Amino acid sequence: MTRRRRRFPLYDAVLLLVGLVFVSPVALALLNSLKTNAQIIAAPLALPHPPTTESYHFIFAGMHLARPMVNSLLMSLAVIGAMITLGPMAAYGLNRRRMASAPFWRGFLLLGLTIPFQAIMIPLVKLFLIVGLANTYLALWLHYVSWGLPLCIFIYSAFIVTVPVALEEAAAIDGCGPFRLFWRIIFPLLAPCTLTVVIFWGLWIWNDFIQAFVIMGPGRGQLAFVQMYAFMQDQYVKNWSHLFAGSVVLSLPITVVYVAMQRQVVKGLTAGAVK
Amino acid sequence: MSGGRRWREVLVSLAFCGPAIALYLGFVILPAVLGFAYGLTDWSGWSGGGRGADLWALGGALARFDFGAARAAAEAFLGARFVGLTNYAALARDTTFADFSGWGAFRRSALGFTLFETVLIVAAFTFGSLVLAVLLDRVKKATGLVRGLFFYPFVLSLLVSSLLFLYLGNYREGAVNKLLEWVGLGAWRQDWIMSPTWAPWTIFALMVWTCTGFYTTIYLANLQAIPEELYEAACLDGAGPVAVFRAIQLPLVMPTVLTNSVLALINGINLFGQVVVMTHGGPGTQTYTLGYYIYHLGRLNNQQGYASAMSFVVFVLLAAIAIAQAALLRRKQVQL
Repeated sequence: MTRRRRRFPLYDAVLLLVGLVFVSPVALALLNSLKTNAQIIAAPLALPHPPTTESYHFIFAGMHLARPMVNSLLMSLAVIGAMITLGPMAAYGLNRRRMASAPFWRGFLLLGLTIPFQAIMIPLVKLFLIVGLANTYLALWLHYVSWGLPLCIFIYSAFIVTVPVALEEAAAIDGCGPFRLFWRIIFPLLAPCTLTVVIFWGLWIWNDFIQAFVIMGPGRGQLAFVQMYAFMQDQYVKNWSHLFAGSVVLSLPITVVYVAMQRQVVKGLTAGAVK
Repeated sequence: MSGGRRWREVLVSLAFCGPAIALYLGFVILPAVLGFAYGLTDWSGWSGGGRGADLWALGGALARFDFGAARAAAEAFLGARFVGLTNYAALARDTTFADFSGWGAFRRSALGFTLFETVLIVAAFTFGSLVLAVLLDRVKKATGLVRGLFFYPFVLSLLVSSLLFLYLGNYREGAVNKLLEWVGLGAWRQDWIMSPTWAPWTIFALMVWTCTGFYTTIYLANLQAIPEELYEAACLDGAGPVAVFRAIQLPLVMPTVLTNSVLALINGINLFGQVVVMTHGGPGTQTYTLGYYIYHLGRLNNQQGYASAMSFVVFVLLAAIAIAQAALLRRKQVQL
C-alpha cells in the first residue's frame, strides 16, 4: 500500500479545516441566534456576551412555529405513507406483471422526472380551484405525491428488477395470491429502497416552502418553513436573531437525522442521480 | 387462459399501477396539458371557468364535428378566450424574457441570466466538484466527517441556505462587509445582494455552497469504484498525483462527468427558489430567471395566459434536454 504511506496526516487536517470553513456560515447562524439583533449588527463574529435565548422564546411565542412544525411532520408522514405504498406497487406492476402497456407507462413516467414545477404551477393552482381544493392540505398532499411518484417508481424499479423471479414463481405455485405475494414477499425485500424513499421525501417535504407557498397561498399553508418565510416577508427590517433561531430549530431535526445516519441520508438524496 | 381469468389479471395489474398512474395523469400531466391550452388564451384571472357542464358540451360538440361550438365550450370551460399564438408572439418581443439587442441586454433578460447562471453552474459542478472529489478521495482519516461537512449544506432547506447568504451579503449589517471593515478593507464593501454586478455572483455562490456536496458525492462514488491495483501500478511506475489523475481517474470518471453536467444543466435552467428568497429578481429585473419570471407573472394575477405560454416553452426546453440525456445515456450503456 504505497499509496497510503505517501499520504501525511497534514493533508487530511487541511481538508478537514477547509470543510469546517465551508460550513462556518451555519456555525455563525447558531452563534448569532444566541444574541440579540443589536448584538449581531454590532459584532457579527463575536461570541454572545451574554448569551440570550430570547429569540428561541420568540419563535414559539411570536412566530408561532410549534403548530406549523407539527403540520409539517404530519404532511411528511402522509406523503411518505403514500410513497412507500403506491410507489413500490406501481414499480412492481410495471416491471413484473404481464402488461402490454407497461413499456409505454415506464417511458411516460420517466417524462415526469423532467417537468419542472414552474412549468405546471399556474395551471395546477387553477386545477385545484376548479375541483374545489384550493388552499387545502389535501391539494398540497396530492401535489407532493403525484409530483414525487415518477422518481419514487424509478428508484423502486431499479431495485425490483434485481429481485429473482424464481421467488415469485415458487410463491405462486404454493397458491399465493398476487397481493399477498407482493406485500409478504416482495415488499420486505425492498426495505433498503423504502428507507431511501422515506429519507428523501421526509427531508424534502420538511424542507420545502416554495411549492407549499405557491399551492396553499400566503398565510394559509401553515407548514414550518412556509410560516417562517411568511414571517420573513412581513418584516421590513429583518430581525436576524429571530430568523437564525427559527432556522436552527427547523434544521435541528434534519441535522439529527443526518448525523445519526449520514450514509443512508447521502445515499437517499443522491439516489435519483446515480442510477 | 380463460376470459374471466384474463380479466382478473388485468384488474390486478390495474390495482397495482392504477392509483399511481391516475395521480400522475391528474396532477402532473393534466396541468401540463392545461398549461398548453391556457398558453393559447388571454386568461387573466383566477376566477371563472371549470364548470363540468362546459366540458360535457365540449365532448358533445367534438363528437358532432361542430368545431365552432367546441371552441365556445372550451373557452367557457377555461374561462378565457383563445387568442392563437399571440402569447408566443408577445414572448418573442418581451425584452424581459429575452433581449437580443446586445450582450449586456441579453445577460439582463430572464433567458440570458438563466443561461449565464447555467453555464457557471455546469462548469462548477462538472470540473470544480471533480477536483474536490479527487482531493477528498485521498483523505484517509475521518473521511466520513470531512465528506459529511461538505454535504451538509445540501441537507438544509433552501430557505435556510438562502437566508444565510442574504445575511452574509447584506450591505449594512452583513458579515462579509463587517469582516472586510474589520481587516481594513472597508473600501471593498459591496451590496452583494442588490448590486447589478454582484447579485448574479452571490446567487452562483449560494448554488455552489448548497450543491457542491451533492455533485462531489456522485464523483466520489465513481472514484471509489476504481480498483486499487491501478493506483499501485501507477505508483510503481513513479506516477505523481497529476499523472494519476490524467491517466487513471479522469478517463474512468468520464461517465459521471456526463451525468453531472446534465444534472447541473437541469439544475441551472430550473434556478428559481434562491432568487425568490434572496433578490426577488432584483435589482430591477436583473436576476429574473425563467422560473422566477413565470412565478412573478403568476402572482401578478393578470397575465396567466402569457405565463402559461412561457411555462410551455421552458417545459419543451427541458424535455428536449431530457431526451438528449436519455439518448446519451443509452449510448453510454452500449459502450460499457
